Amino acid sequence: MSTASFTVQSRRRRRREKLLPWLLLSPALVLLAGMIYPFALGFYYSFTAYWLQYPKRFRFVWFDNYTDLLDEPLFGRAFLFTLGFTAAAVVVQVGLGVAVALLLHARIPGRAVLRALMLTPLMIPPVITALMWKIMMASTTAGILNYLLSFLGLGPVNWFGSPDGAVASVLIIDTWGNLPFVSLILLGGLQALPVEPYEAAKVDGAGPVATFRYVTLPLLTPFLVLVTLFRTMDSLRIFDVIYATTQGGPNDATTNLHIMAYQFSFQWYQMGKGMAQAIILLVTVVIASYLLMRLWNKASESTT
Amino acid sequence: MTVQAAPFAGPEPRVRARAGQRISVQLALVLGAVVLLFWTVFPFFWIVLTSFKTPGDIMTVPPKLVFSPTIANYMALVIGEQRGQYASSRPDFPLFFLNSLIISLGSVLLSLAAGIPAAYALARFEFPFKNAIAFVLMSFRFVPFIAFVIPLYIIYQKLGLYNTHGGLILAYQLITLPFTIWMLRSFFMEIPLEIQEAAKIDGCSWFGVLTRVVLPLSMPGLSVTMILGFMFCWNAFNYPLMLAGRQTFPVTVGAIQFISYEQVLWGQMAAATVVAALPQLLLSLMVQKYIVRGLTMGAVK
Repeated sequence: MSTASFTVQSRRRRRREKLLPWLLLSPALVLLAGMIYPFALGFYYSFTAYWLQYPKRFRFVWFDNYTDLLDEPLFGRAFLFTLGFTAAAVVVQVGLGVAVALLLHARIPGRAVLRALMLTPLMIPPVITALMWKIMMASTTAGILNYLLSFLGLGPVNWFGSPDGAVASVLIIDTWGNLPFVSLILLGGLQALPVEPYEAAKVDGAGPVATFRYVTLPLLTPFLVLVTLFRTMDSLRIFDVIYATTQGGPNDATTNLHIMAYQFSFQWYQMGKGMAQAIILLVTVVIASYLLMRLWNKASESTT
Repeated sequence: MTVQAAPFAGPEPRVRARAGQRISVQLALVLGAVVLLFWTVFPFFWIVLTSFKTPGDIMTVPPKLVFSPTIANYMALVIGEQRGQYASSRPDFPLFFLNSLIISLGSVLLSLAAGIPAAYALARFEFPFKNAIAFVLMSFRFVPFIAFVIPLYIIYQKLGLYNTHGGLILAYQLITLPFTIWMLRSFFMEIPLEIQEAAKIDGCSWFGVLTRVVLPLSMPGLSVTMILGFMFCWNAFNYPLMLAGRQTFPVTVGAIQFISYEQVLWGQMAAATVVAALPQLLLSLMVQKYIVRGLTMGAVK
């Protein structure tokens, strides 16, 4: 009698313990469903002709939105700009990031203050960053940036008015906002490096350059790949800075896939086409991240 | 700090020939530090300066460092002094500021309410699909916002959620919920299991363990998650750009309203950027050490 009731009780308790995690998760799962549903709906829209002003013309068109893109001259340009900008941004930001991380890791006066200060661009809204630079990047020497450049014998650059200037300005603004992130992760990497290889390098008489090339850089690789992963994901999708400064112009020079999808959906109200472009952008991000994650796994295996 | 390897620092007494090299390295470091300081601080300095200038002092050749400062730009922000002719189209910045506060706080609180139990479940229990759920949460990090905003815009128009605080708070869950759950999970997992088992033996239910042991012990993590979540919401621009209207614009979308077809109100825009950035700068002082952890959703500590 007593053993029987004990097993019933423990079975009940076990069942309750099985249900408990789901009970705990349920509010989050409801919200999660509220996120997945719009995405699924949007995915469906990408196979439809959906003009917001003409809801009666709504119809299923299979892959037309995707195949139409091949005939859309802007798409090729936007796709190439997306990839090219990402490559440039990653190279510039990771390259400078290594330099800044080494600088902040070395013993220099006022290092703590410098570390705290250099964080600030990271924390303010990217669109605010863009507006700040927009004020500084006026095209004549009335703009402070061109005025400062004139002391170096450069410029004046027509920042937002010329295609090259516009691309450069977006790159500069994005770098200003994200260099702290790259530097911080790499600085964390430098601080976590083991001491022994450096002692061995010293014994072998390696100078600072050789030490950096043959000891620091290989050991830092996992961090370099990680920071490249994060920057690649965000650079492929950059929107705020471009929207606030060039709006994709001039002459579509700074139109990436994200801006293009926005223009199709919210300026021309072709929701199906905009959604198809968004999906292509998503696939691009996923493929790039997958490749970099594999690289990261390899890199972290080889160093540990 | 001293035991850690510093590739460019540290004395090398053995090689006298390198003394000169060492001095030049030190010089390069100091020069680099000065350049970095200038690059970081100058934009802030210039914007604050611009925000105190009259329209006539802003775009001059050469740019003016010395001028008679005015608080007209800030007054215009606060009391809408220059509304005048285009009253209906002038930005209402105090309202935008209030909207930012309401939406950001609401989003963080909703994410915490749903995220604390979820993170606890993911950190402490074994159950089917556990890793799948964690992965789905992480996968939101990959999706371009436009893929959410197009369907959300259509749905919100139909449901009457467009241009409402509630609708924005729900949309902002895309920003805060995955972040909150991943961060809290990583903080919860740091609490030793033994303490929780001990509490259980003392007669605590799972609820008691959570509220009396886990939450008090992860108070720092909880506040960091809240502050960073709040900051991410404050920074948000894409979702409100499409899903908010003039009554619900946050400061990020509000600041861009100073650019219109007729003109750009540089001075007021500068003042608006200062006001929009200020809370972020103050909050970031509190969470400095956790910023990287937050931005990588707990992947890098």
